[in-house]
Amino acid sequence: MKDEEIFKAEVSTELELPLYDAIAAGFPITSDYPAERLDFNRDFIKHPESTFFVKVKGDSMKDAGIYDGDLCLVDRAEEMVHGNIVAAYVNGGFTVKYLDTSTKDEGFIRLRPANTDYKPFIVDASDEFIVWGKVIFTIRDWRNSYCLPL
Amino acid sequence: MFAIVDCDNCFVSCERVFRPDLNGKPVVVLSNNDGCVVARSNEAKALGIKAGTPYFQLKDLFPGQEIAVFSSNYELYIDMTDRVMSLIRQEVPEFYRYSIDEGFCMLDGMNFLDLKEWGEKLHQTIKRCTGMPVSIGIAQTKTLAKMASHYAKKYPGFNHCCYIDNIERRNKALELYPIEEVWGIGRQYAKRLQAERVTTAYDFAMKPKSWVRATFNVVVERTWRELNGDDCVPLEDLGKKKSICTSRSFPGMVPDFETLRTSISNFAAHCAEKLRKQQSAASIVSVFIDTNHFREDLPQYWNWAQESLLTPTSSTQDIVQCALRCTQRIFRQGYQYKRAGVVVAGICPDTAVQTNFIDYDSERYEKKKRLDEAIDKINRMNGSETIVLGSQQYTAKDGKGKAGVFRDSIKHDFRSPSYTTKWSDIPEAK
Repeated sequence: MKDEEIFKAEVSTELELPLYDAIAAGFPITSDYPAERLDFNRDFIKHPESTFFVKVKGDSMKDAGIYDGDLCLVDRAEEMVHGNIVAAYVNGGFTVKYLDTSTKDEGFIRLRPANTDYKPFIVDASDEFIVWGKVIFTIRDWRNSYCLPL
Repeated sequence: MFAIVDCDNCFVSCERVFRPDLNGKPVVVLSNNDGCVVARSNEAKALGIKAGTPYFQLKDLFPGQEIAVFSSNYELYIDMTDRVMSLIRQEVPEFYRYSIDEGFCMLDGMNFLDLKEWGEKLHQTIKRCTGMPVSIGIAQTKTLAKMASHYAKKYPGFNHCCYIDNIERRNKALELYPIEEVWGIGRQYAKRLQAERVTTAYDFAMKPKSWVRATFNVVVERTWRELNGDDCVPLEDLGKKKSICTSRSFPGMVPDFETLRTSISNFAAHCAEKLRKQQSAASIVSVFIDTNHFREDLPQYWNWAQESLLTPTSSTQDIVQCALRCTQRIFRQGYQYKRAGVVVAGICPDTAVQTNFIDYDSERYEKKKRLDEAIDKINRMNGSETIVLGSQQYTAKDGKGKAGVFRDSIKHDFRSPSYTTKWSDIPEAK
């Protein structure tokens, strides 16, 4: 048995080493220090292919914290179950509501608003209805709004 | 093993994702400038609307029919089909996009799967995620896969996926397949074959190889081999087009050389851009101009001209200059032009350009290449036609100077919103 083995250095790939020519004081500034940054698209949108935007009109979902003018990110790939907030297409237009399937066995379901001024919308076989996608995020522009609660 | 995934009635389906009320109804999408029908829903096909029907004839040909009409919205179609292609890419070892709405998957290495089941599942995933219905054909060769996708589209029983997995099934598929529908058999070859009593793909596949070789050429022989299960269409041939055409009908009539010249410049610049996108160069540039044949009250004129380049190029400057020389040769005063186009052909990879010692100047060549790269980059980041050649600029309305770019000159009266690519156009939900 040999005491030492000699390996040939592997130099086929390049390794770039940062060169600091002024380390006299302080911490070296290097642009490649935090390798990863927070990236909304990468970190929050799981399925870019199936994610779409819709813009909310009206205040029917205000008690859920979704206001007029908010942007909703809608993912069509997400599983949708009773209780989710969904974007649906009903009788010629898009709507954002709670999906209530508790009455499914009776032949209809409900789209429930989050605002006591509005009644739930009852959807049965006579309606043109598609659950289009699940609302996964809302984005609100606070810049020009009055933010202090009244 | 190959699979081809093909979007069903692609443009119409894109529109319907955001207009589910149009499901089950006749829908058509028009070509650029709202000239003629380029995409039809199944219901529109059932009504008898043919591809290429001029828009203005629709009302007369199908009176009383409620037909939903859209102008082309390429922004939407490209975004939606990119999503579809991206989903497919995630499912296969290797994928080759063939056109805006179809692509080939190389399935070797996943034979352990039940491919029919895999295809049905892929269709479901794409439908759920994007709303786009697709048809999937799976077979031993690309030509057979193309044929299979046709059956997947035609027969609902296949659940959007047709898998030709044995010889009996292949022969049955070939017998029912008209020769003119075979991928790679053009209209001209189909005519010649029909004259020889070859009417189905099966008739053709059963002909002796020696006959095919003696009667036709290598390309037709390749198709024959593919139909017999011998994979021989090289992948590199798929993505790259043999010729690239940019043509448009004008919104109005164009009587003057100056305006026509500007349009031709734009078409030529587009061709050059497309060439660079697929890393090709072209050695033939041709231009055609045409008057409006529906206006029988006006004098008619059609002509074309072509020029060969000594050294193949993808340079915007070179191709535009060449196209303008062609235009100069065929332009005649006194006609109302309705349509024009530029075709580039003689396409080769830009890495294998055969240079010519008479006109080749390597320094100039490199300079132009770098300039085009820079322009492409800027236009990609800031929107197409951010930087154009002077000859691409239309004369301003007041007749002084140059203004107004390409895009503004296209007519699209029935264009849907760009639901997925413009903040101002995203759907509203109440």
